[in-house]
Amino acid sequence: MVKDIIQVNNLQVWFPVRRGFVESLTSKEQMFVKAVDGVSFNIKEREIFCLVGESGCGKTTTGKAILRLVEPTGGTVKYAGVGLTPAMIKQAASEAVGKKHITKQEAEKNITEGAVSVRVLAKDKMKLLRQKMQIIFQDPYESLNPKQSIYDIVAEPLVVNNLGANESEREKRVQKALDDAGLRPPKDFMWRYPHEVSGGQRQRVGIAGALVLQPAFLVADEPVSMLDVSIRSEILKLMLDLREKKGLTYLFITHDLSVAYVFSDRIGIMYLGKIVELGPTEEVIKGPRHPYTKALISVVPKPDPRMKTDKIILKGERPDPAHIPPGCRFHPRCPFAMEQCKVAEPKPMFVSQEHWVSCWLESGEGKA
Amino acid sequence: MALLEVSGLKTYFKTQEGTLKAVDGIDFNLEKGQAMGLAGESGCGKTTAALSIMKLLPANGYIAGGSINFMGQDMSQVTGDKLRAIRWRDISIIFQGAMNALNPVKRVGDQITEPILLHEKVEEEVAVKRVRELFELVGINPNRIKEYPHEFSGGMRQRVMIAMALACRPKLVICDEPTTALDVMIQAQILQLLKNLQQELELAMIIISHDLSVLAETCELLSIMYAGKIVERSTAVEVFANPQHPYTKGLIGAFPNIKGERRMPQSIAGNPPNLIHAPKGCRFAERCLVAQDVCKVEEPPLVEVLPGHFAACHFVKERR
Repeated sequence: MVKDIIQVNNLQVWFPVRRGFVESLTSKEQMFVKAVDGVSFNIKEREIFCLVGESGCGKTTTGKAILRLVEPTGGTVKYAGVGLTPAMIKQAASEAVGKKHITKQEAEKNITEGAVSVRVLAKDKMKLLRQKMQIIFQDPYESLNPKQSIYDIVAEPLVVNNLGANESEREKRVQKALDDAGLRPPKDFMWRYPHEVSGGQRQRVGIAGALVLQPAFLVADEPVSMLDVSIRSEILKLMLDLREKKGLTYLFITHDLSVAYVFSDRIGIMYLGKIVELGPTEEVIKGPRHPYTKALISVVPKPDPRMKTDKIILKGERPDPAHIPPGCRFHPRCPFAMEQCKVAEPKPMFVSQEHWVSCWLESGEGKA
Repeated sequence: MALLEVSGLKTYFKTQEGTLKAVDGIDFNLEKGQAMGLAGESGCGKTTAALSIMKLLPANGYIAGGSINFMGQDMSQVTGDKLRAIRWRDISIIFQGAMNALNPVKRVGDQITEPILLHEKVEEEVAVKRVRELFELVGINPNRIKEYPHEFSGGMRQRVMIAMALACRPKLVICDEPTTALDVMIQAQILQLLKNLQQELELAMIIISHDLSVLAETCELLSIMYAGKIVERSTAVEVFANPQHPYTKGLIGAFPNIKGERRMPQSIAGNPPNLIHAPKGCRFAERCLVAQDVCKVEEPPLVEVLPGHFAACHFVKERR
């Protein structure tokens, strides 16, 4: 059986809304922006799992919360300790108990399952774990420091983690990473600055920076949306190659369903902090069940004027995550909303072995 | 006579390294009520072409040749007050990232009445009334004219910008990447709005985008630009059904199609050439899969391949 490398269970990231002085005196209820509000999924080893949704649906926050670049406020994230020895896990767990982050039972459970609960891991152990979990950012024009050479950018993670015995060993690792990212020969690129290379090459530098620590799991946050269409598939192919060669697992975050369609193994559709539909890519795109998924698929522009399809254009924009509607959170924009949808939140229902959807229209086929 | 006739347009920039030939000889015509898409990779000169029509080039840019004829006037002769009168009243432009172009400390309504009052001698009440109509036209509640830009979401701000571009009832609207910064759902709303407006008001439109699929949904005509030149031009249906130039074929192949079979699209290897030292022959030769020796020496002319379908490649057959 294929191992799960990432298990996310009921993940929550709530940001408190800042209150003015007077408001805090009148002791109004503290409000939260519920960016991620109970998200559960798992990613198998060597799988590409894709989160799709409109901006502000919480997909980036989910990715960051898994790496603890933002602190989750609830739920669990587990990383099957491929990169960490059992001793390391044990020590991390006992420290967490010491600091009263978790109870002893929870700690024991963590160790027996052979997984590390990312959410309760002490900060310094998280740093170790992050060597195995890296992120590729969206905009290669903004995420690279213009004053650093490509060598410095790629070597930075080694410096931060105190890896590589001496400069020449570091250089070797940087060269290897650049070579893996398709910047060949590495010596030609190492001493250049970001402005001296093209957009596609910049994104390759970003990928090299993630690869230099030899991670097992990568979060790719819209890695191609800032690039010209003509070079997008080059970067996607590079990522597929890396999976073949290095056995990488990806969490791929995008708003572009057509990219998700050709690239990922499974898709999760997010709306307002929750996954509303999840399943194998082909099944979700060819047989969507949730009205939101159907609408999203219908509005993807087709690269052919002869193809005329009926579009389901949703009215208005997504509601504010500080004021999530009661019942099904999609009901104010849903063309099929019923009375029930306004009152109660639908539970996930399996429609096939691996494909589930949260919608009242799909009720009664077995609970997830 | 066509509404807009661009022939042999050359727009160059003076830079420290030499003259950058951003647009190097392009021709097209646009009739009243037609929408044309201008597609190409970033840096191919599509925005520069649009700025040349509006005469909005930055200080180091200049028109080095060719002519732009708008409603029978030679735009090179139009300057000063005359030019100011044409802008906005006859041609208006929606810039890239336009929703960030609104003045944050002025009410949106006031920002739209300003050009109306400047261009037409009307009372303020008349202008305000028109703004309310415009808001209704682009699908915003007219009561929101008193609000400030920060009270609008990205898609709504883009609608405000469209309303602003339409304020003086122009005949030609240029949209530079109108939906690039927007979500898919909002993109669909805006594209539908642009299409409806174009048909209702008989607007001529030039839509600039790197995204062929956006143009496929909105435009009747399509021109493909590469490195400062138009390499293929025809109706959108024709270009997609029967692409002639290898670059066009590459671009179309680079799009993943959600309705088609599931396979990784092909990319076009390499980068566009440096336009300060543009290559001698065909500019696409270096990246072209079918390039021969002749392509590196001789530049192919834009010839009519099929009725109304032009392409610039050595390996297309000219129609007789």
